[in-house]
Amino acid sequence: MRLTALFILMFVVFSVALLGYVGFQSSIEIQRVQARDVAWEIRQLRNLNRQRGTRALAVAVQRLSNQPGRGIYYLGNPSGQMVAGNFRFIPSYILLEPGQYSFSYSPQRAFEGFELSGPDNADASEDGKRAQRKAQAVVRSLILENGFRLVVGRDIVQRRDFTIIIVRTMLLGVIGIILLAALAGVLTARRVLARIETINATSRKIMSGNMSERVPITSRDDEFDELAKGLNEMLDRIESLMQGLKEVSDNIAHDLKTPLTRLRNQAEAALREGSTDEDHRQALEKTISESDRLISTFNALLLIARVEAGAHSDGLGRVDVSRTVLDVCDLYAPAIEDAGGLLQLEVEPGIYLNSSRELLSQALVNLLENAIKYSLGSEARQPGSRTAHDGEREDDVSDPCKRSDELKRIIVRVEQDAGEVRISVCDFGPGIPAHEGERVLERFVRLEKSRTETGSGLGLALVSAVAKLHKGSLVIRNNPSAAAFKASSGPGLCAIISLPKIP
Amino acid sequence: MKILLIEDDREAANYLVQALGEAGHTAHHAADGETGFAMATGMDYDVLIVDRMLPRRDGISIIESLRAEGNTTPVLILSALGEVEDRVTGLRSGGDDYLAKPYSFSELLARIEVLARRSSPSEASTVFQVGDLCLDRLSREVTRGGKKISLQPREYRLLEYLMKYSGQVVTRTMLLENVWDYHFDPQTNVIDVHMSRLRAKIDRGHKTQLLQTIRGAGYMIRA
Repeated sequence: MRLTALFILMFVVFSVALLGYVGFQSSIEIQRVQARDVAWEIRQLRNLNRQRGTRALAVAVQRLSNQPGRGIYYLGNPSGQMVAGNFRFIPSYILLEPGQYSFSYSPQRAFEGFELSGPDNADASEDGKRAQRKAQAVVRSLILENGFRLVVGRDIVQRRDFTIIIVRTMLLGVIGIILLAALAGVLTARRVLARIETINATSRKIMSGNMSERVPITSRDDEFDELAKGLNEMLDRIESLMQGLKEVSDNIAHDLKTPLTRLRNQAEAALREGSTDEDHRQALEKTISESDRLISTFNALLLIARVEAGAHSDGLGRVDVSRTVLDVCDLYAPAIEDAGGLLQLEVEPGIYLNSSRELLSQALVNLLENAIKYSLGSEARQPGSRTAHDGEREDDVSDPCKRSDELKRIIVRVEQDAGEVRISVCDFGPGIPAHEGERVLERFVRLEKSRTETGSGLGLALVSAVAKLHKGSLVIRNNPSAAAFKASSGPGLCAIISLPKIP
Repeated sequence: MKILLIEDDREAANYLVQALGEAGHTAHHAADGETGFAMATGMDYDVLIVDRMLPRRDGISIIESLRAEGNTTPVLILSALGEVEDRVTGLRSGGDDYLAKPYSFSELLARIEVLARRSSPSEASTVFQVGDLCLDRLSREVTRGGKKISLQPREYRLLEYLMKYSGQVVTRTMLLENVWDYHFDPQTNVIDVHMSRLRAKIDRGHKTQLLQTIRGAGYMIRA
């Protein structure tokens, strides 16, 4: 309702301003018309005087004087006596010096002996009242060729009266409009409030826990429906995010509680009667390695959370991407060679990005570790599956005849075009099933859900988070070069981080 | 070595004091920031171990005040905050090393022993020698028994770090931080592979094995 009141107030202010403007403009217009009439009459009277003589002029002036309307006429002979006209008391300075004058006078005395003839005589009492007042006249005086003084003018009061009539008429109209506007405002406001109330009601329901509630959309297709659609889309997004969060926390619960349970079981088993010192020792060693694994899972989760929250984005600086990638490869090359593989580098030098060396290195490390684990490790032997038990690596190295050296390559590529920098890690391992392509980026997804293998299942999720921090993306697809090898154990895998160049 | 431990978790502190004692060091314990600061200024310690979050006064402020007073005792910061930025703020305040919780005792021990050594003049010398192995930091030449050993740049830096702290345990994390400047723990045993290559270059064909693996801790080079 306050909005409606404000609206009406604004309307009133504008109306009054408009009224004032119209009044002012019409008064100016009337003044202009009067001045033109006076000038015309003077011209006519002058011509008459010149062509027909003073007598005809006097007759004409007298005739004009007797016409209704508040014209002011005076014709005097050179000796100062009034010959014709309706205005007795012309101040003498006006007669002496020709020109335009404005002066006040008393209508009763000035028009004495003449008929008072306003535009509307019916309103006699008002007219009489007006006659009592001091009036204002605007006149032009001139001296004719024969020495006669001619004064023609208009009563300004007439002008004011006219303006007042216009304004009064308009005022009535405006008051009517204001009343109508107020009515319309109240009606509109009630309708708007009703629509807003439905949105409020929905949000109250959602706040009280009913997340699936949505704002109803009418068939009117107006701004409120737009708003409702926008709100509903936002709610859908929030709901899906919450759903994702719930899955993540379920996964966290599973992935942290499982090792915690193992930890607890081992400690209990060690305390059981009859166990030897050697048993105790083994149990404790297992406990330590289990807790180390827990810690690394926990660290990975924290890092992903911080990267996704953009906590690192202010720590970004100019980084030599090529150098960073080569450094990581320098760290991993010997380990890859020892696992029977070969690290092949195709790194374009001198590529810079606004990035973080630490995060970029960590992302590349995760990709390399995956490539080692799945294309060189024991998992590489099981086509179609990236989730086998964590076997020993040596026996894989011991039978190199099984596959050609070509298939033991891990290719790290850094390239750029005008818009983006691409860092890719490709292997010739078993790849992943096509329909699982997106899912591998999720947290804790190890395909086929085998959870006996080492690794937290968070590796690619971190890489994806790092890519998103750079407003880029991570794409996982089959390695196109792997198709060339028929003996290949799988389609191979390429993980490609695309990072846009942002100036 | 005299060590001051400023740590508010009693249980962790008791364990550390006992374990440091078993390792042959004397450790004192302060349970809050104010007490810790008073003890650090009152006595001459070889190493300070400072927890970052402490009651009454936080670790960073203790280190800043100590450094402002001209106290140069090496400081190891312990913290549950393991992020790179946290590490940077810790080191910028005047800390010498940063260890994220949870840590293993062997990691902590290796780090404080290296820290205590850091203030000794031997660290700045231009030639490191362990047995008949020589490393010249000016010419970047490595010889064993007078015979030149050619090393990759990374292998050189690895050996340089090990020899700088010869006779002391150096953990894999320390190598990763100081030689490669990475602050994460890789799952693959990348460091071990580098070490076995380095070992092949300096120890192969020699009777005394200088580069030793310390089980459950890391590596050590000694004659």
